[in-house]
Amino acid sequence: MNCVYLDYAATTPVAPPVAARMAQCLTVEGTFGNPASAGHEYGDAAAQLVEAARAQVAAAVGAKAAEVVWTSGATEANNLAIFGTALYYQESGRHIVTARTEHKSVLDPCRELERRGWRVSYLSPDREGMLDPGQVAGALRPDTVLVSIMHVNNEIGVTQDIAAIAALCAESSAARLHVDAAQSFGKCPVDFGALGVDLLSLSAHKVYGPKGAGALIVSGERGARLAPLQYGGGQERALRSGTVATHQVVGMGEAFALAKGPPPSEIERIALLKERLWEGLRSLRGVLRNGGARAVPHLLNVSFEGVEGESLLAAVRPSIAVSTGSACTSINQEPSYVLRALGRDDRLAESSLRFSIGRFTTVSDVDTAVVAVTRALERLRRIAGT
Amino acid sequence: VTYSELTRRYFDDAACVGVLAGPDSFRGAAGSRAQGTWVQFDVQVSSAPRSGTTIHAMRFLAFGCPHVIAVSAWLAEQAAGREARVSLPESIQSLRERFGIPVDKLGRLLIVEDAWIAAMRTATGAPVLESRPQQPHV
Repeated sequence: MNCVYLDYAATTPVAPPVAARMAQCLTVEGTFGNPASAGHEYGDAAAQLVEAARAQVAAAVGAKAAEVVWTSGATEANNLAIFGTALYYQESGRHIVTARTEHKSVLDPCRELERRGWRVSYLSPDREGMLDPGQVAGALRPDTVLVSIMHVNNEIGVTQDIAAIAALCAESSAARLHVDAAQSFGKCPVDFGALGVDLLSLSAHKVYGPKGAGALIVSGERGARLAPLQYGGGQERALRSGTVATHQVVGMGEAFALAKGPPPSEIERIALLKERLWEGLRSLRGVLRNGGARAVPHLLNVSFEGVEGESLLAAVRPSIAVSTGSACTSINQEPSYVLRALGRDDRLAESSLRFSIGRFTTVSDVDTAVVAVTRALERLRRIAGT
Repeated sequence: VTYSELTRRYFDDAACVGVLAGPDSFRGAAGSRAQGTWVQFDVQVSSAPRSGTTIHAMRFLAFGCPHVIAVSAWLAEQAAGREARVSLPESIQSLRERFGIPVDKLGRLLIVEDAWIAAMRTATGAPVLESRPQQPHV
């Protein structure tokens, strides 16, 4: 493929050391045993790798190894957190607080719980996508059992003040706090213990690990409890039955160990690339930045006036790989609900591009993107007469 | 979304983009940018408005998806030298098949057709339906 990849928020390539470790768990020469087979050394060897990976993930996010529950990714982790909490605490209350700009894997479970009789309060962020922690406190009720707020927004990259939200929740409610951190780990500090949250969702493939691997961190110190969503085997403290995919979690552990605390020079390099990209785009007429300057260093979301969204994406597609929203929703070809929640009209929400920069992005890649967008805008605006 | 080779070609290299001016030029438009699809055709005819006249040139502007742009560009390119007629030179169904357009985009194709009809009505002097207001003479 010749086009420049600027969609690292959608997924990342697996790092070669991660792939190598995973490969060691697949074949007869490697550690292929079932980690739940405690009766022989094949199983023991696999279990040791799984536990070592658990310790790697826990260490990377400031949690204890026993708090890590393997899942197939952040979507499953979010589902387990939301349904698991709602079901476990259903006798205590049936009210949930979340935000309109959450990922679909949070919003859709909330919608499903509403269908089953739970009540959900959807908070509206400001025009930059930020929630005032006071909004969360104001939405809490005696029957609130769960607050679910993402750390870094997957479309616009803004970072919520989770520590402040956690403090307010702890002060005024018994509600559990769940945080979707799929987009934040590896890009900004994530310290589970210090944040004071109950549940934290993680994904491997956003940080050069494999797809199909994730984890839910369940606070032992805070006594978070969940009802399991699947049964059979009792793996993962009976919270997630099913054979643990050794190669996947080993890959996640390795990726998290590598991604923990990227050197300041790399963070600065990525931030400079994003600013170079923004400087190149902002000189064009009718360009609006979504999420403002509060976005994480690797992500830039921009709306373009006077062009239709699908045509814009089609026009830049031969040169650059970007997204019109989150990868999980862009296949729907609908205006971004996140941008609409921020007050963008349908046309601007449609004509937005999410650029996300990663480990392999170069200055030349960014300059290619600026040229591609400039040409596309000029051509489509000429065709549209705008 | 994947596009047919024909769609990709006419989207990437859309010819006949622009407007026409002069006493023999007529305009028709349909849709709205605010709603996501808008198309305008300008048609220049030999002597107008009357039926049986020949199209000298056609230009278009389009705000819409690649299919809308490609079909509009193709229609404008094919128009020169043809007799000016209110109906499209091909049916919507035929255009949809020619360009490999998904059925859920039929509504957008109908906007292209409405713009074409509006332009041709002004150029040929054909009766204008109440629901399709005549565009001003360019």
